[in-house]
Amino acid sequence: MFSVVMAEAGSSDLWTWWTQFVSGLLSWETLQYVVAFLSIFGFIMTSAVILILLERKVMGWMQDRLGPIHTGPWGLLQTVADVGKLLLKEDIHVVKSDKLMFLLAPSVFLAPVMASWAVIPFSPYIRLPFTALATGIVFYVAMSSIDVVGVIMAGWSSNNKYSLIGGLRSAAQMISYELPLVLSLVSVVMLTSVLAKDGIGTVSLWDIQQYQDTWTKTGNGVLDFLFQGFTPWSWFFLVQPLMLMIYYICGLAETNRSPFDLPEAESELVAGYVTEYSGMRWALFYLGEYGNMTIVSAIASYLFLGGFSGPGVGFLTGLGNIWWGLLGNILALVYFVLKIYLLCTVFIWVRTTLPRLRADQLMQFAWLILMPVTLCNIVLSGGIYLICNALGLSNLIYLIVLGVINWLSIGLFIWIVRRATVATTRRAQAPAIRAQRRASSVPALQLRDGVPSRVSELPAGSSVAGGGSH
Amino acid sequence: MATDQEMKIHPEGGVIEESKSQEMLLNMGPQHPSTHGVLRLMLKLEGETVLDCTPVIGYLHRGIEKILENRTVMAGIRYMDNSDYLSPMLNETAYVGAVEQLMGIEPPRRAQYIRLITNELQRIASHLVALGTYGMDLGAFTPILWTFRDREGILDLFEALGGSRFNVNYMRVGGVLHDTPSGWLTQCEKFLDELEKNTKELDALLTGNEIFMARTQGVGYIDPQQAMAYGLTGPMLRASGVNWDLRVNRPYMAYREIPVNPQVRQEGDCFARYYVRLNEIFESIRLCREAIDKMPGGPISTRTPIALRPPRGETYFAVESSKGELGVYFISDGSEYPWRAKLRGPSFINLQILPELLRGHKMSDTIAILGSLDIVLGEVDR
Repeated sequence: MFSVVMAEAGSSDLWTWWTQFVSGLLSWETLQYVVAFLSIFGFIMTSAVILILLERKVMGWMQDRLGPIHTGPWGLLQTVADVGKLLLKEDIHVVKSDKLMFLLAPSVFLAPVMASWAVIPFSPYIRLPFTALATGIVFYVAMSSIDVVGVIMAGWSSNNKYSLIGGLRSAAQMISYELPLVLSLVSVVMLTSVLAKDGIGTVSLWDIQQYQDTWTKTGNGVLDFLFQGFTPWSWFFLVQPLMLMIYYICGLAETNRSPFDLPEAESELVAGYVTEYSGMRWALFYLGEYGNMTIVSAIASYLFLGGFSGPGVGFLTGLGNIWWGLLGNILALVYFVLKIYLLCTVFIWVRTTLPRLRADQLMQFAWLILMPVTLCNIVLSGGIYLICNALGLSNLIYLIVLGVINWLSIGLFIWIVRRATVATTRRAQAPAIRAQRRASSVPALQLRDGVPSRVSELPAGSSVAGGGSH
Repeated sequence: MATDQEMKIHPEGGVIEESKSQEMLLNMGPQHPSTHGVLRLMLKLEGETVLDCTPVIGYLHRGIEKILENRTVMAGIRYMDNSDYLSPMLNETAYVGAVEQLMGIEPPRRAQYIRLITNELQRIASHLVALGTYGMDLGAFTPILWTFRDREGILDLFEALGGSRFNVNYMRVGGVLHDTPSGWLTQCEKFLDELEKNTKELDALLTGNEIFMARTQGVGYIDPQQAMAYGLTGPMLRASGVNWDLRVNRPYMAYREIPVNPQVRQEGDCFARYYVRLNEIFESIRLCREAIDKMPGGPISTRTPIALRPPRGETYFAVESSKGELGVYFISDGSEYPWRAKLRGPSFINLQILPELLRGHKMSDTIAILGSLDIVLGEVDR
């Protein structure tokens, strides 16, 4: 490309091209992107360190133990020390691995995770320019499906059977759970298109968050301070709670967390696709995984829980004073991070509680339960809107009706899951049940002749030291 | 089999090859997080389906039976601890029981009752490890930590009793080593109350869980005839609907006075085996309480000569260990040393059914089934 430009343009043209290129490189926009990249990377690093410590502590409390306590006060420096150790560890390569893929896989796994942060506004001021932001959900979904490439690369190139099985499992799992994940997000996009005045919805997270703010200024200072930009009664999780649940379940599967952690199932596959990795490459995988956890939580908090909104944010940034605005932004950041960590704690809670599913049960759950439920929800949301529209009812009544139906369908969903579990186990138990029926038709099993089955039937003064003597 | 080469003629001419997957040989173990020690399974896989399995054992062989021949009878008791290292007390009871049976000694009643309490506590400890690691095998992280916390209490009790937590070396021919320290029985009762509460909590965490049930119910089914044909004993046999418990059917020592309710399930799958073990914990708690209530006074040991020479002859004595029938076949030539002491380890015999069970199951079920057998490699390899 460059040579073509050189050949066609004269030396002066080349010079203008060069100056334009350099000025473009040194422009304000490029600097913004560089700063954004660095801060997102820093945020992922720090939040991974904090999350690992949080996970170990919370799991410790749930399991009646202390968690890390020795390194630093209250064990606070434990993960920092771990990161230091991982950085200093030898980077071991498998001799018979596919070298290039083996070395690239961790980066391919981590890069999309960082890229998907581009769509997240952190606070009213801190966000990337709107080009990346506008494609919101679509961009996130696209990035999260690239993840699987890194996993397969790692699984294939390690030249290890456990890694291979882990990689293939995760490929199947991530692709299957991508679909209900997208469909559950579609329901929110549908809500925005209902609420939009021109009837065109949005996929931008920033705009979706704006739809969840229904406050109109009252003039009462206290109320305005608390609720401007922060209206929990109009958050989308009240209208679509089931979709939040399904999105979260799919998020668990996307991030390979328990109970969907088959790709790295410790008890079966040693460590799955990360078996052969060590040192910093191993750490990159874990960084990616925890980054994934935070991004799933961040998206959930934007779509269903009002994003960074909280008491004081909207009021302070709306004052027009830069210092109050700054304070409002810091508050927004705090609320946002708190919401993320709250949702991450649910991940940890689930991990301590549930056993792991089997691969085929995992697939069944995605295709036979989650997919139909999300599709039904989309049809239902659309259908109810059409009915409400035909009857000339307002949007508010539509949202209330949809919300009530959705809350009720949570119960239905749980019932379906239970029913499905029971049905599969009944089917699996068929041989056992058959055998029971066979056994009940023949007389009870005679073990050995003349053996008293109860103590009371023992003859008095029986053998001295007992035992099955000959 | 899908792997067979099959050729088909395409309707429009030409030959198409059936898509076939390649068989994969996977060596699971001996270094693997969930083979419960150093068991090696050579799995022949097609995708994730297990076609065949060959267990390879012997990585933990220490020649315990040969060591027993080279130690005096009293010195041999200590080596029995290392056989099934999760239930040393039960191993010791089997060994000293065989010697007592050969010599015609009956230990005093108090000794018998202490043996019952320690045996039942040991059974609880072993089952706790089995349940905890089973949860771990299925991916539940919490049960193992809860059960090991509870097991710690049992080890503390043993420490107070025999001075050692794990390899207690507490049984003696004709009785036990020490009487219970003062306050030990009260401590024991207090521990049992707490244990009952904790075990109910474990029950609430695992038993009703849909994922747990989906993973275990109907997996690894053994029918009663098959179970008896393979010589299975213990919880594995009782989970298949065969009511056979040596404490009931061949009562020995204090079990002649304290009746046991054997725990039997009809399903014969992994869940039944899990549930039998869980219920046996509650049953053992009940037995311990009853034994503490009925605890007689008197000596804890009969007088036995210092140089113990069992008479010439042979005998077989079996106890209901936590894993099944733990038998000792004891041959004496009249000297201080046993001429032969053969152990019938329940783990070894229960392991034999594994290839039969695994065929056709998924690879994840391999772990679920292996965990439900509750083997201890120390006893398999001896």
